This record gives sequence, C-alpha cells and structure tokens, in this order.
Amino acid sequence: MSQSLSPARIDLTPTTARIGRGGLIVAVLLHAAIVATTLFSWQHKLEISNESPPVVPVDLVTLADKTNIMPTVQRQPKAPPKDDVKPPTEDTQPTPTPPAPQAEVAPEPAPKPLQNKPEPAPKPETKPLKPAPAKPDTQKKPKADDFSALLNKLTSPAAAPPHARTADRTVRGVGAMNAMTMDLIETMDLIDSLNNQIAQCWSPPVGAPHPEQLRPQFRLFLNPDGSVAQAPQLTADSAAEASGNPYMRAAVEAARRAIMTCQPYKLPADKYGTWKDITLDFDPSKMVQ
Amino acid sequence: MLTRALSFAAALCAALLLAAAPASAELHVTVDQANPQPLPIAIPDFAAPNASDTAAGQNIAKVIRADLDRSGLFRTLDPKSFIDKAPGVGAAPTFTNWRTIQAQALVAGQVQMQPDGRLRVDFRLWDVFGESQMLGQQYFTTPDNWRRIAHIISDAIYERITGEKGYFDTRIVFISESGPALHRVKRLAVMDEDGANPIFLTRGDYLVLTPRFNPTAQMIAYMSYINAKPRVYLFDLESGRQEMLGNFPNMTFSPRFSPDGNKVALTLESGGNSDIYVMDLRTRALTRLTSDPSIDTAPSFSPDGTQIAFESDRGGSQQIYVMGADGSGQHRVSFGAGRNGTPVWSPRGDLIAFTSQSGGFHIGVMHTDGSAARILTNGWDDESPTWAPNGRVLMFSRGSQGMRGSSIWSIDITGRNERRVPTPGDASDPAWSPLIQ
Repeated sequence: MSQSLSPARIDLTPTTARIGRGGLIVAVLLHAAIVATTLFSWQHKLEISNESPPVVPVDLVTLADKTNIMPTVQRQPKAPPKDDVKPPTEDTQPTPTPPAPQAEVAPEPAPKPLQNKPEPAPKPETKPLKPAPAKPDTQKKPKADDFSALLNKLTSPAAAPPHARTADRTVRGVGAMNAMTMDLIETMDLIDSLNNQIAQCWSPPVGAPHPEQLRPQFRLFLNPDGSVAQAPQLTADSAAEASGNPYMRAAVEAARRAIMTCQPYKLPADKYGTWKDITLDFDPSKMVQ
Repeated sequence: MLTRALSFAAALCAALLLAAAPASAELHVTVDQANPQPLPIAIPDFAAPNASDTAAGQNIAKVIRADLDRSGLFRTLDPKSFIDKAPGVGAAPTFTNWRTIQAQALVAGQVQMQPDGRLRVDFRLWDVFGESQMLGQQYFTTPDNWRRIAHIISDAIYERITGEKGYFDTRIVFISESGPALHRVKRLAVMDEDGANPIFLTRGDYLVLTPRFNPTAQMIAYMSYINAKPRVYLFDLESGRQEMLGNFPNMTFSPRFSPDGNKVALTLESGGNSDIYVMDLRTRALTRLTSDPSIDTAPSFSPDGTQIAFESDRGGSQQIYVMGADGSGQHRVSFGAGRNGTPVWSPRGDLIAFTSQSGGFHIGVMHTDGSAARILTNGWDDESPTWAPNGRVLMFSRGSQGMRGSSIWSIDITGRNERRVPTPGDASDPAWSPLIQ
C-alpha cells in the first residue's frame, strides 16, 4: 500500500498546480485510499475484538475451577479491569464518561442489566473488554488510535457513518459479553457456594447397587435470609423413579435431609433474584468408586 | 465485509445466548460433593404404660440402638440429651425438641404386656425435619422373644431409611476355636448376628471346617474329619441331626447350597485332582461340572442360580472363574495381582467377594465380570468372606501373627466400618444366614 501511495504524491504535486479538479479527484482518491487503509486496519481490530467472545467461555471454565478454592480469587480479576479501563478511556474514548457505574450496576440484578446495556451508549463497555487481554491491547491500541484519528478527520465525508455504526455494534456486543462474563462468573460462584454448603449435609446412599444412577432432582425456593421457603419439591421424573425403587426413595430422602439440615444458606443478598429459585441436582457419581 | 458481518452475527448470537442463561429466574445447581456421615437418630427407651414392662422397653431400645450403631450408617444419640425421655406412640412427638439435639430421625416405641401373656410392641419412625411418620408397626410375641423383636424393628428402620433390607434378624454359624495351638479344639457354633445367644452344635471331637447355611437358615453344610475321613455333612438345626452328604471314597469339601436350597455344590478330590460337582439333595444324584486336571474348588452360586463362581489354578496360579450352573462356558474373571480365590457371590448379585493373596491375605470385592476389583481389608490373614443377606456387609475371619487365635470381623462394602464381631473365644470361618423367617 505504501509503495503505491508514495509515487502518486510525487506525480501529483505538479499536476495539481495545472489542473485543480484533477487534483481534487486525486485528493479524494487519496483520502479514499487512506479510508480504505483504515478500514482494512479497522477490520483487523474488529476481528481481534470478535475473537474475544469465544475466549470468554474458556476463561469461565478456569475461573469456575478457582471458585472452588476461593471466592476472593474471582474478585481480584474483576477489580483490575476498572483500573486498566482508564488508560484506554483516555486514548480511545473522548466522549463518554460513566463506564464504571454501568459495569457495576450490571452484575447486581443478573438478568436485567444485560437487557439494559444495549440501550445506553455502548462506548463505556469497551473499556472492560480491553483490560481482559492486557498485552494484546497495548499492542493494538496504538493502531486503533491512529485509525480513529484518521476517522475523525474524515467525519465530514459521507463515507464515515456506516463504519461508525459497525464500530458501535462491535463495542456494544463485546461490552455486553464482558458484563455477561462477570454475571456468569458470579453465577458460578453461587453454584459453587451452594454445592459446597449442601454437600456438608449430604450423605448419599453409596452402598446401594449402582448408586451413581440415584440422582434426585428438586426445585428449591429460598427466602432472602437463605432459609428454605417451602418444602423442596421433587421433580416429577424423580418422584416417579422413587415410587418404584426403594433405593431411589432413600436417595431422595437423604437429599431432602441435606437441603433441610444445612439451611439457612449463606448467599449474597444482592443476588437474591438469582438464587431465590433453584433447581438442585444431586449427583453421587464422584462419591462412587 | 461479509466475513465481518457474519462474525458479527455470530458474536451477537453468542451474546444473546449467554444473556439468556442468567436471564432465567432459575439457578441450576448440581451437588456433586458429599460429606458421608452416619444418620443421627434418636431412639429413646420404649414407653411402658405399666411399670412392670419398663425393663422390656429399655432392653428393646438398647438392642435397636446397638444394631443401628453397628451398621455404621446411623449414629444413635445419647439418651441423656433427650428432652423427651419416652415419647410413646400415642401422639406425634414435639419435633422441635428433637431438632434441638440434631436428631434427623426419631424412633418412638411402646411395650405393653397383654392379658394373654404376650408382649405387644409398637413403634413409629419419624422424620424430624419433614415432621412426618415414615413407618409404624406393631408386633405381638412371647416375652422371651423380645430380643428378636428388637432386631426385626432394627431391620424395618434400616430398610426404610437406606432402601435395602436389613440383616439384624440373622444368625452366624462359625467355627469356635479353643485350646493350645497344636491341639486346637474346633467346634461348630451358631449365634445371633450381634453375637448374642451363642450355641455350640458339635462337641469338638472332630475337626470341622467351612460351615454354610442353607437358604432357610435351618440347615448347615460343613466339612468334618469324623473318623479321620474328611467329608461333607449336613446339620439340621431344628432336630440336631447330622448326616454325611453322599458316601464317597475320597475327600469332599467346600460345600455351598444353591439359592433354592435343593442342591449343594461341592469339591470332590480324586487321584490328586479336585473337581466341582453338584448334588441334588432330593435325588442325591451327583453331576460333575469341571474336569480340568487342575484344582477346581470353592464353588458359589449366583443368587439366580444360573452361574457358579469358583477358583482354579488351571491358568498357572489360583484365580477366579465363572461358569454356567451346568458347567458350561467356564472363563476366568480375576486378573488382579497375586492369587485370588474363595469367591462368594453377593446375594444382591452385583459383586463377588474373594480372598486376595498378595503380601498377605485380604478380602476384596469385584464386579461379577471381574472388573473394578478393590481390596477392602488390610489384615495379615483375612479369609473366608461371607455376605450379609442384603449384600451390603461382609464378615470374614482374621488370623493373627504369632500364637494368638483368629477372630471374626465385619466390614461395609464401601470399605468403611470395620468391626470385630463378639464371639465366645477365638472364632473363624463365619457364614451369614439369610434373614430369619
């Protein structure tokens, strides 16, 4: 690209002096070339940003494993993003200011924030995205900055708007993805926490024949204080299984005792909307040799 | 651009999918960890409306507590901690009083002598957290039978809570040993599963080995060296009669009843070669099942009677084989380290217990195809496994190094809850009866 551009300039200087319109056309072509270059590069950026979503579930898996060890481990990765966010904001985001609040609001009511995010300006959400892949960002940001500077210069031409829209979309999708990642991590926290708490009281009938097949499932409603709101409801499938199989009935009762004995459960009060209604699967396969 | 648009669409779809999960009002949790603990159960003394029955109420509750404790699946709570000492069966208990002491189940009972001289025993099993009755039964029996009633109630509680039949109303036949090491006196003896009521069936004049119950627990097959001729005998517990099973010129040993009780599989030695035979007890007809020049012995029927596990050294070392009950399809199933022998098919049908010889003798269990073999005990000389009728617990005899005698132990198939079984003196070769009917 650079090779084709530089000779053009050499030829242009004399011709523009002679023919004004031709010079303008060349100038427009040159601008178009620059725009094309930026587009090409922008596309790269988009591809990179689009690559991040598939990475998300991978991150989730590793974090989920860690949650078994320490809840605090997960908080750490959440905090740094905010700090890291600032440098990119200064670089990339000239316009919006309220990124942090939105990121914080989102995780609290798990489902709602996700719906809300598309509505407000998407730009703030880009910030959380970049901090996640630290090294790649730093390398790519300069490019993005260069291109955004070019785009700013070209805002007056009519060609700009479509690119701006695509940029908006990318930013919005990625930001939402990141917020969702946070939500999912917190959901994993809840799942791990409940698993750990109920497990303390669970004595599955491991001596039964094929104990790994005795997997009762309940619907459980909890009060805001973590206590059981009503008797755990055995699902229809489990109930049918238990009616004809004394081992399954024993497994059901053992699971129910576990639920009732270990309450109230210690869960984050601000996530009550997420854990007030739970489907509980009891899976003894890990306990069976 | 198209690629970008597509990748955009994909990202958006992924975002929406991910958004959908937490948007659901329901959290899905899989509990895949556990903390296996015995069930805390409160068994207060059975109430006695008549003061003269107080002792019976206390004794029955005491036996039930001992039974359930011994199983390892229950932890009976100290009666001293009870707020209600003898709640009785007339009304629902005050559940909060039992929750306070962490009881998850409660057995409330009552004993009352009837005008006709029989003892009436009632009990209720309560779910303390569910505040509901899980079981309620009533028995009439002669007062002498109080101990059996206690075992029957233990079995009912065990079955209701674990989903499998109990094994407390059963008996153990074993070889009682006494005297110096070089002149051991070995007598056939029988006792309740908890070691109570031991009775000697033979005087010890002759060596006795490998006793086995028949399915009604009324007859015992065993090997005895009467008149220096090792042969298989049958002992009728009701009449006290014993008879030699068949009249063979050579040694017969290792008898075991078929599940229907109509046949006995045994080993017959002839010319230095041991093979497995089956005798029909009604016709006394003998059928040969193996004819290999190696030593084939220790037959044990599957609970459906269609297969027999046995040990053989035909492959070079002692290993476990399985064949059809007619001797067909003989194939090796044990491939573990060392030698493996004395297979005993679980009454539940899912496992075969065996003795593994590898740096000592140990009791193990494996699936009936030989897979998932695991060693349960780590004594120096653990042998002669026998199954509880529910296939959940094993007993075995444990020899000791030095001059000390052997003893009988029990262990859960999970490898937990190893306990010594109380016997009068040294004991070996236990055989567990079916549930008494």
